[in-house]
Amino acid sequence: MNKKVLYVFLILLAGLIAVLVYTDHRSTQLDKRPDNPYAYDISEFEKVDPAMIHYSETRNIRLGKDKARGISWFDNHIYLVTENNLQVISQEGQQESKMTLTGRPNCIQVVKSGIFIGFDNLVSLYNFEGQLIRSYLSESDSSHFTSVAFLEGLVAVADAGQRVLLLFNEDGTLIRKIYGKRESEDLHGFIVPSFYFDVAFTPDGELWVVNPGMHALENYTTDGNLRSHWAKPSMDISGFSGCCNPAHMAILPDGFFVTAEKGLVRVKEYKPSGELSSVVAPPSSFETGKTAPDLAVTSAGEILALDFDRNSIRIFEKKDQHGS
Amino acid sequence: MDRKKFITNVGRYSILGALLFITGQIFFKRRVSASGQYVWQIDPMKCTQCGRCATECIKTPSAVKCVHAYDLCGYCDLCGGYFKPNTMDLNTGAENQLCPTGAIQRKFVEEPFFEYAIDEKLCNGCGKCVKGCTSFGNGSLHLQIRHDLCDNCNQCAIARVCPSDAIKRVPIENPYLIKGAFTS
Repeated sequence: MNKKVLYVFLILLAGLIAVLVYTDHRSTQLDKRPDNPYAYDISEFEKVDPAMIHYSETRNIRLGKDKARGISWFDNHIYLVTENNLQVISQEGQQESKMTLTGRPNCIQVVKSGIFIGFDNLVSLYNFEGQLIRSYLSESDSSHFTSVAFLEGLVAVADAGQRVLLLFNEDGTLIRKIYGKRESEDLHGFIVPSFYFDVAFTPDGELWVVNPGMHALENYTTDGNLRSHWAKPSMDISGFSGCCNPAHMAILPDGFFVTAEKGLVRVKEYKPSGELSSVVAPPSSFETGKTAPDLAVTSAGEILALDFDRNSIRIFEKKDQHGS
Repeated sequence: MDRKKFITNVGRYSILGALLFITGQIFFKRRVSASGQYVWQIDPMKCTQCGRCATECIKTPSAVKCVHAYDLCGYCDLCGGYFKPNTMDLNTGAENQLCPTGAIQRKFVEEPFFEYAIDEKLCNGCGKCVKGCTSFGNGSLHLQIRHDLCDNCNQCAIARVCPSDAIKRVPIENPYLIKGAFTS
């Protein structure tokens, strides 16, 4: 009799334990938890009217093991710098050549004169055979070059570490430092909260610099005078959000700007006046809170976005150009 | 293979595996406590700011607080962790602040830079500012369990329901996973 009672008790105890374990397990399931009373929903900012997206991704090139650092396009070839090498890739995605670099590059710009590769405190110019022609050096150890542009004997280098734009003669002589305009109420020199600081020349030879902390693009003469600027601080699709955007910028053959933002990652096209023209890639194309893609443009107006998170080159074309 | 040989082999390989594991831990500098004592901590790289640190901790307010890695901060005027989205006037008005308890203090440094400090007495660890900073800024704000407040429960009530398994045991000698320090 006593044994029977003991068995019943043990069975009931086992059942109770099983129920407790099950309910505890169920209570930790995400769908069983109460909603987050402190939820901060940013999905609203990720939504983009499809009518605004004038580009579509037509192909992409996966980059394998080498971690990409910067991209440029010249004469139907993609030039890519990774952690320790320079790669030349055909438009179809075939690697044509590869050269080891002594150092970790930050940026690349390829023009008729050669291949400019920016490291922390120097820019090296290579010819198309891979021979070093000359270097452009910073005077400061705290330099961190993030972008280089070239036009008719003038090399413009964006130094995020010093928050200054350096202008060199083609022979390597430093001719001017531009700290950005400070006098006007809405300008404060270059504000560079993180290592994103981009520079480019338009096809007409205008020098444009991103002032990321001010969410602005600024046009300077080569004498260092501010000619014009436009700023778009906004979380909406029309502007630049976050602490320091746009992170990267490129200029299309028609003079329109292409910008890439970090945080809420998106790629957009702006008119030279600063008015939003269209969306190239909405936030849904990227992972939120990840890295802004580096940008390059082709002579046909294709946009090459170097997606660091996927380690691939994503190619965007205007929808009306490829019939979709 | 007979049973005796099988058991002997299993024993040998178990010992070998354990030795390899310990060597690997030391070689890869895994977080092993010299004193054998561990505490709970949040891995900020895994945290998804779900809000459970504020609601599940047995302490009221939570032992989880927002901490600021100043070396990562941009000292921006338009701070995604401080301001609500689409705030028109960038000032300290309560209606502009994202933090539900007003625990972030904004201090002018020099034009156009501002410093953001956390008042831990007010912070409830909800992670709303962390979400804003991670989504729009450099990600310098992040959540950490404050060990002067934490009871170091045998089973952390937050870790039990953390959807991203961001809460783990760390050696008591290195009780914090501060973003700017261990990520750089």
